[in-house]
Amino acid sequence: MEDKACLTLAIESSCDETSAAVLSGGRIILSNVISTQIPVHQKFGGVVPEIASRKHIANIMPVIDEALRQAQVSLTDINQIGVTYGPGLVGALLVGVSAAKALAFSLDIPLIGVNHLEGHIFANFLAHPELKPPFVALVVSGGHTSLVHVKDYNTFYLIGQTRDDAAGEAFDKVARVMGLPYPGGPQIDKLAKLGNADAIAFPQALSGKGNFEFSFSGLKSAVLNYLHNAEQKGEIVNKADVAASFQKAVIAVLIDKALQAVEKAGLTKLVLAGGVAANSALEKQLKASTEAAGVEFYYPNMILCTDNAAMIGCRAYYQSLMGDFANLYLNAIPNLKLTDKE
Amino acid sequence: MPILALDTSTLVSSVAIASPEKLIAELILQTKLTHSEVLMPHIEQILAMTKIKKTDLTGIAVSIGPGSFTGLRIGLAAAKGMAYALKLPIVGVSTLAALAYHYPMPNIYIAPLLDAQKGNVYMALYRWENGILQEVQAPVVKSFDMVLQDGQVLDLPVVFVGDTAQKQALAIAEAGGNVVPAMPQLVMPRAANVAMLGLSEFAKGKTDHVMQLEPVYIRRSEAEVLWERRNGKSEE
Ligand SMILES: [Zn+2]
Repeated sequence: MEDKACLTLAIESSCDETSAAVLSGGRIILSNVISTQIPVHQKFGGVVPEIASRKHIANIMPVIDEALRQAQVSLTDINQIGVTYGPGLVGALLVGVSAAKALAFSLDIPLIGVNHLEGHIFANFLAHPELKPPFVALVVSGGHTSLVHVKDYNTFYLIGQTRDDAAGEAFDKVARVMGLPYPGGPQIDKLAKLGNADAIAFPQALSGKGNFEFSFSGLKSAVLNYLHNAEQKGEIVNKADVAASFQKAVIAVLIDKALQAVEKAGLTKLVLAGGVAANSALEKQLKASTEAAGVEFYYPNMILCTDNAAMIGCRAYYQSLMGDFANLYLNAIPNLKLTDKE
Repeated sequence: MPILALDTSTLVSSVAIASPEKLIAELILQTKLTHSEVLMPHIEQILAMTKIKKTDLTGIAVSIGPGSFTGLRIGLAAAKGMAYALKLPIVGVSTLAALAYHYPMPNIYIAPLLDAQKGNVYMALYRWENGILQEVQAPVVKSFDMVLQDGQVLDLPVVFVGDTAQKQALAIAEAGGNVVPAMPQLVMPRAANVAMLGLSEFAKGKTDHVMQLEPVYIRRSEAEVLWERRNGKSEE
């Protein structure tokens, strides 16, 4: 079934990275070019949608050109094009979608619309050639926190997701209030290593058994209140302790629910996906907890955790095997859900 | 040697195919369709209707603004993708200058007005002299009310075109002075104008780089303006 001769060009522009990749078959990365805009957005303390869109339209063709050059293939060798059509910032998504449609039409090759979140899960197939469904995926990113039952390459069930803030969003907001630069996740991760995770007891919401929903807004408020109260009393806050205690509360909930979900699904594999997968404490503790529970644990390496086109290409390849192609009417869907199918 | 032309700078979706001697086909839809959905199907359909193969095209002209930021980027991403894949020369043309192609006659001004939000317009002033388009006033952002006042006292009749001219047709018709309203079919952008302007640029040997072509925004993003207002002041 695996067609190694099939070349997929993939394009990703959902947030603040413009990326293009070339894959041979479903799992061999020939190139994965990522042009990050993080320095551009840093002074604003977060991604500015209009600025992101402007960067995407400036970067898109050079990034595609570089991906082909690094893969040492010519555009006419490409067999199909995969593109992220949601979720994400609509103006940003539209740049990638419009370019992808024009390329597919001009080259007379199939177009595949890819769900960005499914792409994050599929990053693991690139990082682990031996990995096969079924498994439970814990998707943790700036915009999403979900548990997904991946039955096979094209069947997913949402087990549970966040009711309010995404875990990554909580990381970014807490970091911002502590005066740490954007993006806040890696900064908290770094700072937490210097602190005592048991210093402050922050709440862990919805931690009951059998509850697969997440909620991080209460935790976020608790941290903000703690910082605010200390400031009012003129107390000096140990920021490292706050970071470590906050991170501990997030991670405890994630691990607890993820392991429960694996057990409930009757599976023995857990896959971590999304930008927050790069958090070193989360990786370390999940590794230990899964080992103790006898669960196989997979997570992508650093580059494949961030938004990148290779993961989109991998997802696109498996969609193409099912004949799941898009037509020229493909539009960006900013709030696309994990289980949505067009 | 037909070229393809696109204009998605306003809510009008327009594509055209033209050669230097004639307009072969043009599609103009002002139906609130989403550019991202219909632009590529329109290109596919106009090529099918004219029986012109995409590989027979010899260039692409695209309206690059000012105008709707998102609309411009959809058109430009499509134009760049096609130019890159089909190895075609690409040229970006001013949306305002293309609008002035509606009234190529002497002794009038043409003032294209494109919505810049909050009562403002992107505008420029053009006139035709000996069949050549002259830019009398370079593109700026101005309030519509100011533009209307300025127009009333110009030394020649001025025709207002563009999406704000369409929206404010009544105010323009009642303005008096030298202000002349445009006709409904010659007020919004159309790709035929972009094609003709693009063809004249190609004839002069002018092309843009497919890797570098960007929209003409005129305005910076609101976040940048706010940031500089906040942070620039403290340094003064
Ligand atoms: Zn992502």
